[in-house]
Amino acid sequence: MDQPKNKRYGMVIDLDKCTGCGACMVACMAENNIPFRDDDTDKLLSVSWMHVYRLSNGKPFPQAEECFLPRPCQHCEGEHGHSPCVSVCPATATDYDMHTGIVSQIYTRCFGCRYCMAACPYHVRQFNWWDPVWPEGMERALNPDVSVRMRGVVEKCSFCYSRYQTALNRAYVEGRRELAEEEYQTACAQACPAGAIVFGDLNNPRHRVHRIVQPDLAHGGRPRNPKAFRLLERLGTHPKVYYLTGRDWVRRAGDNEVQKS
Amino acid sequence: MDSALIPKGVERCPLGRFLAFIAIVGAVLLWGVVAMFLIYIKGLNQTNMNNAYGFALWIWADLAVIALGGGAFFTGLLRYIFGKAELKNIINYAVLIGFVCYSSALLILAIDVGQPLRAWFIFWHANVHSMLTEVAFCLTCYFGVLTIEYIPLILENRQIERISFFRHLAHNMHGIMAVFAATGAFLSFFHQGSLGGVSGVLYGRPFGFRSGIGIWPWTFFLYTWSAAACGPCFTILVTRITEMATRKKLVKDEVIDLLAKIAGWMLVTYIAAKIVDTVYWAAVTAPAMGFTLMDFYTNNPGSAYGLWILIAEVGLCGVLPALMLIAPSVRRNARLLFLAVLLAVLGACLNRWVMILQMQAVPVLPFERWFTYFPSWQEIATTILPVAYGIILIAFSYRYLPIFPQEAELNPLPEGGR
Amino acid sequence: MKIDRRSFLAFVLGGAAGTALSPLPWKLTDDISIWTQNWPWTPVPPKGETTYVDSTCTLCPGGCGIRVRRVEDRVVKIEGRNDHPVNRGGICPLGAAGAQLLYSPWRVRQPLKKMDGRFVPVSWEQAIGEIAGVLRELREAGTPEAVAWIADTDRGTTAELCRRFLTVYGSPNFIRTPCAQDAWETALYLTQGQRATAGFDLERATFLLSLGSGLLEGWGTPPFVFRARGALKDNNGRFVQAEARLSKTAAKADQWLPILPGSEGTLAFGLIHVLLKEGRERKPFVAAHTAGLEELKRQALQEAFSPEAVAQATGLEAKAVVELARAFAAAERPLAVCGRGAGRVPGGLQETLAVHFLNALVGSVNVEGGVIAVPEPEYIRWPEPEMDAVASKGMQTPRVDGAGSERYPHARYLLNRLPEALLQGDRPAVRVLFVSGGNPFYSLAGGERTEKALARIPLIVSFSPFLDETAAAAHYILPAPTHLERWEDVPGAAGYPKPVVGLARPVVPPRFATMPTADVVLRLARRLGGPIRAAFPWESHEACLRQTLGPAWETLRRKGFAVEEGFKPQPFETASRKFEFANADLKRLAAFRPLPAPGDPGAFKLTLVPFDTLRLTAALGAPPFLVKALESEILLKNDIRVEIHPQTARDLGLADGADARITTPQGSARVKVYLTEGIRPGLVGMARGLGRGAHDRYLAGKGVSANRLLALVEDPSSGLEAGWGIRARLERA
Ligand SMILES: Nc1nc2c(c(=O)[nH]1)N[C@H]1C(S)=C(S)[C@@H](COP(=O)(O)OP(=O)(O)OC[C@H]3O[C@@H](n4cnc5c(=O)[nH]c(N)nc54)[C@H](O)[C@@H]3O)O[C@H]1N2
Ligand SMILES: Nc1nc2c(c(=O)[nH]1)N[C@H]1C(S)=C(S)[C@@H](COP(=O)(O)OP(=O)(O)OC[C@H]3O[C@@H](n4cnc5c(=O)[nH]c(N)nc54)[C@H](O)[C@@H]3O)O[C@H]1N2
Ligand code: SF4
Ligand code: SF4
Ligand code: SF4
Ligand code: SF4
Ligand code: SF4
Ligand SMILES: [Mo]
Repeated sequence: MDQPKNKRYGMVIDLDKCTGCGACMVACMAENNIPFRDDDTDKLLSVSWMHVYRLSNGKPFPQAEECFLPRPCQHCEGEHGHSPCVSVCPATATDYDMHTGIVSQIYTRCFGCRYCMAACPYHVRQFNWWDPVWPEGMERALNPDVSVRMRGVVEKCSFCYSRYQTALNRAYVEGRRELAEEEYQTACAQACPAGAIVFGDLNNPRHRVHRIVQPDLAHGGRPRNPKAFRLLERLGTHPKVYYLTGRDWVRRAGDNEVQKS
Repeated sequence: MDSALIPKGVERCPLGRFLAFIAIVGAVLLWGVVAMFLIYIKGLNQTNMNNAYGFALWIWADLAVIALGGGAFFTGLLRYIFGKAELKNIINYAVLIGFVCYSSALLILAIDVGQPLRAWFIFWHANVHSMLTEVAFCLTCYFGVLTIEYIPLILENRQIERISFFRHLAHNMHGIMAVFAATGAFLSFFHQGSLGGVSGVLYGRPFGFRSGIGIWPWTFFLYTWSAAACGPCFTILVTRITEMATRKKLVKDEVIDLLAKIAGWMLVTYIAAKIVDTVYWAAVTAPAMGFTLMDFYTNNPGSAYGLWILIAEVGLCGVLPALMLIAPSVRRNARLLFLAVLLAVLGACLNRWVMILQMQAVPVLPFERWFTYFPSWQEIATTILPVAYGIILIAFSYRYLPIFPQEAELNPLPEGGR
Repeated sequence: MKIDRRSFLAFVLGGAAGTALSPLPWKLTDDISIWTQNWPWTPVPPKGETTYVDSTCTLCPGGCGIRVRRVEDRVVKIEGRNDHPVNRGGICPLGAAGAQLLYSPWRVRQPLKKMDGRFVPVSWEQAIGEIAGVLRELREAGTPEAVAWIADTDRGTTAELCRRFLTVYGSPNFIRTPCAQDAWETALYLTQGQRATAGFDLERATFLLSLGSGLLEGWGTPPFVFRARGALKDNNGRFVQAEARLSKTAAKADQWLPILPGSEGTLAFGLIHVLLKEGRERKPFVAAHTAGLEELKRQALQEAFSPEAVAQATGLEAKAVVELARAFAAAERPLAVCGRGAGRVPGGLQETLAVHFLNALVGSVNVEGGVIAVPEPEYIRWPEPEMDAVASKGMQTPRVDGAGSERYPHARYLLNRLPEALLQGDRPAVRVLFVSGGNPFYSLAGGERTEKALARIPLIVSFSPFLDETAAAAHYILPAPTHLERWEDVPGAAGYPKPVVGLARPVVPPRFATMPTADVVLRLARRLGGPIRAAFPWESHEACLRQTLGPAWETLRRKGFAVEEGFKPQPFETASRKFEFANADLKRLAAFRPLPAPGDPGAFKLTLVPFDTLRLTAALGAPPFLVKALESEILLKNDIRVEIHPQTARDLGLADGADARITTPQGSARVKVYLTEGIRPGLVGMARGLGRGAHDRYLAGKGVSANRLLALVEDPSSGLEAGWGIRARLERA
């Protein structure tokens, strides 16, 4: 059987381009059937696979600066796919897919122990504290490619896995085994009006993500581009989401390696 | 009927008083049961947990009761494997306390998970890499062992014993108890250890993460060690409290003293290891992940997670009780012994607290802040529920089963008694 | 058989063991867990065939191309069209949440009539008949001008049909809701003689100076502006934001100039002053294409605009003003823009003129990377309608809002002046008000006085598809289909520098008994008969569209949009054929004077400045996804948070998150505070878009509306709304 070469899907987010508009959050909500509630202002109780953080440089007016940091799941690779969250799940409800590098989440297997939430340093994983409820009629906008999650399970960004499957199915029907870069794009990357999010295969030298970050694949994918960094590089989670910035303070705010050494 | 069930040669309070006591504790139990059903029906939104505090009061309570229930396996190990025969006078109670602790732990876990009806997926779709899988398997097996250890006690009830099948069963079970004690010790080693592994393997959480041997972080061994040290302290503490409640001496001083001495030396070795672990963690493990010790402690005065909590755990509730327990003069002073075992018990609880709750409160992303949490009444009620259940089970067991072999000897009945 | 204790126990134990070994408990356990995976109350979206339909978003004046994903007849996702020139695949949060508007349970499902304060369903026949009856009466009484129409746009067939209806009926009172384009259109007309809207070639500018414009907060067409800003970065261009608070725009600028609010115009004149004084204007352009420079010099070289004076007025240092002017002049393609925040308030005309002059001085008018006069679309060429005597007489009466009057000859619409006009006299000047597309009951500033004024109108007809504030206050709601259920031609994209027309199409059949507003107009006209009927020879709006667009209809239907790629701006149409810094019309305008925030600074020590965010909407209510995405720095439970500087907070004894009461001359409201170093001390920043009295439960009743705390401020040079803030007081609550 000729197994296609493994992919390592990843993302680069240009923090100097991101405007904090939130289109990525909303596009993700619409794509992935994210529920909403009367009061969603407590972000620690609210489900949103993409969260845009607001970072500040901590300086007084008028030297104050702010930066917006969109945070999807980092799809950590850890060592050999032992991402922080995958290795802890007792029920194998979350998995590292060696073919794509995507960290999946199986809602119908998750029994809600929340160990994975404790394990994830990025606060990516979110729990369904409530039953999801759509006001009458609005459930018509639900996307059938993505299952609706029930109360009591954990969920998180899947790199829009259903879009990958759809693209792959289409390619197979057309007799192809390989996906072109633009065939599989995440909802957030597609929506971003600022063009701040670039998505693709880090293993593929022709893909923009690869060209931008120039990952050192022998060393957990460390970026060779000096403007690129990853959140909490030093933990060894080896995320596949990279950030770009020209501002030093932003880099320091996201990367504990720079801060402490 | 009631008096027919009470063991021979001992005296129990009047049935009315007993029932009144049960009613009061039962009310607390009921409160917990109401909260439990609220949680089952409405979901975990009834708690104050959130996406930053996925583990909270319950998981702490779970880890704490399991640590304290460690008295059962360790006393059993000493009694059956190392042949400390005197301990047969407290082993029953140690087993009972262990049974209460472990059944409580399982109950709490069943409330804690978001999908209790699927909790068995942990066995069916087991992930061998997960510490929780190890915990679940060992915990369930060990609970089975504890049940087997507890059953002969029930069978020794005056009325049940009259049925020859049960009499024989109890007798035979006692005969092979060493096998179960050994199994229990083995299982305990792993599940106490894997509980320690729960936070120790979280390499995304520098506060909890520890290096170690193979797949086991140091916390794996520290947890087993601390359970072996503090579990017997809890057995002593509960025995003392029972003695106070019943206004009777139930276990001879030599027995307690022996157990306290062993616990003391365990605590000494544990706390020495803990100090080495802490220093290595602060100086090597955490800095390698880009964190300094003071990143883990808030310097806001009055904060729940100031450096004081480390000092309290290791010093006040670690070194101090260890030294107290190994000093015979202190150990033999009833009040000081009580204080020492109490401190040791608090130390174990505090250790589980920081390893679970502080681990999540510490901001890991440099731009996040400390997370705070205070349990909801539903969480508090369901956490007190097993306490009430434990008191009731102990009360019934004490009343109707011959838990304390030395009770009759220590409390001779007045003339005309049974 | 006698059952003794022993056999009973054996039976029980044996039974238990037997049950445990049987498949029953395992099967039950399995079934129960499967049940938890399919709880009947958790919806399962039905599968079906997936199709994509291209359309145009009409939720704001952006007119982005959208690609709508449908599963069977359900809209499940809205994405940006990659091949659309305006948004090129991007989409704003509102556009992305569009399906939630289509499926909102708070839609108006059929015509409603208010009776005894409550809405009751009526038939279209009845509603249109009754409204036609009132219209007939007004006409018979010879007062057709007492009918007014508020619309969110004056372009496209729907708007033109409404306006035409008013014209043949006899009322000049068609009013477009205000926005920054009002001031820009006037500025273009006065300086270039062109009836055009301002487009900004942001993508090719190399130095972008924004005087308070919320370029990343909804100004212009957000996806276009965002992409342009990215291009600026890629081209190593420079972006300077002058604004009192660290808005998202300021945060993303290369340089943030935290000027005092309201001093944007002064800064623009100050920059002109430096340019002219140092002779840094682009001389070839100025010499060849402009006239009246001497007059501008006379005006700008006044002491009031010297760097020192400007420094005083703006809170910057004189050096910074000079440096900014030099850098701006030295850039290859500099561009200055204005229109505060999302550009929802037009602002003073003189201020916009100053910015436009600044562009002209550096040659950035009608050239690559500059301000482009984009001609109004001309595809609507209907024959002049025949008017009867009543209509002609009505059309001769002055507009109720004073636009086009002797005082404000260049203004086309002045909605902000409507409330005062309504308060005059025993009978309100407007007897019937139609509102299509706008939401004046929410968005007009002025608090209670505005409310009282609008309440005087005896008959209000709303065409809103949703129960918004205006619809709630109306007497009839004649619901239109949403943007995904109707045909609509969408000319122009706000701020886009080329003529473009998009077509919105019914992506799904109408969900309810709605009717496109244009069809209501056609039916009203038919009812009224005579010349009114004769002016509308179309069967339906769709028929009208086909006929109006002619051959373009097929192209639009196939492609979805038409853009004039090789568009070249037209030559200036002034008398001199040049860009005029001065002329008779300009001379007649009231002189530039920075407008203060209303209110007594003695009694109100602080200044409230509203700000916009893309996670809320201006007039249309924000759908649930937007409210969900809103930061907790803006909304916390049901409380809006206002931004203040920690110093201000200390002076007031307020901690972060504290409850407070804000009071302005217009009103008072409860808020929570949010402390940030990103705002000038002495200011209070408040997001616009909350405090809704209607809409769905995800939005209604949350926070307060800044509009209610603000006063209407009339620009003396144009009559346009020019309020940028108001004096305020903040106290612990
Ligand atoms: N004080 C103040 N006044 C303002 C503004 C402000 O920010 N503050 N903003 C100004 C600006 S820039 C603008 S553009 C406008 C914004 O106001 P508009 O541009 O008019 O707002 P929209 O968001 O286009 O439309 C909003 C209203 O139209 C209704 N609506 C939506 N779709 C349809 C439809 O298909 N048919 C009909 N008949 N109704 C529909 C909705 O119920 C909603 O109430 O307001 C202007 N006025
Ligand atoms: N999430 C979210 N998104 C929104 C909104 C919201 O409330 N929430 N509001 C929407 C609304 S109501 C608005 S007003 C916009 C803000 O955008 P607009 O209200 O459209 O603001 P403008 O002031 O028109 O845009 C900036 C400049 O564009 C030019 N311009 C405006 N209209 C035209 C035109 O038709 N043609 C040409 N060539 N140039 C034009 C004018 O010169 C104006 O100064 O944001 C929209 N986007
Ligand atoms: S859509 Fe793009 S610009 Fe907007 S917040 Fe997301 S990443 Fe940033
Ligand atoms: S970011 Fe968190 S959830 Fe995502 S792969 Fe990493 S550890 Fe897992
Ligand atoms: S919450 Fe679900 S996914 Fe997370 S560890 Fe537990 S079972 Fe696995
Ligand atoms: S990649 Fe897909 S799932 Fe993840 S945040 Fe973006 S849109 Fe959401
Ligand atoms: S900017 Fe306007 S037209 Fe474009 S998607 Fe957003 S709401 Fe629709
Ligand atoms: Mo607007």
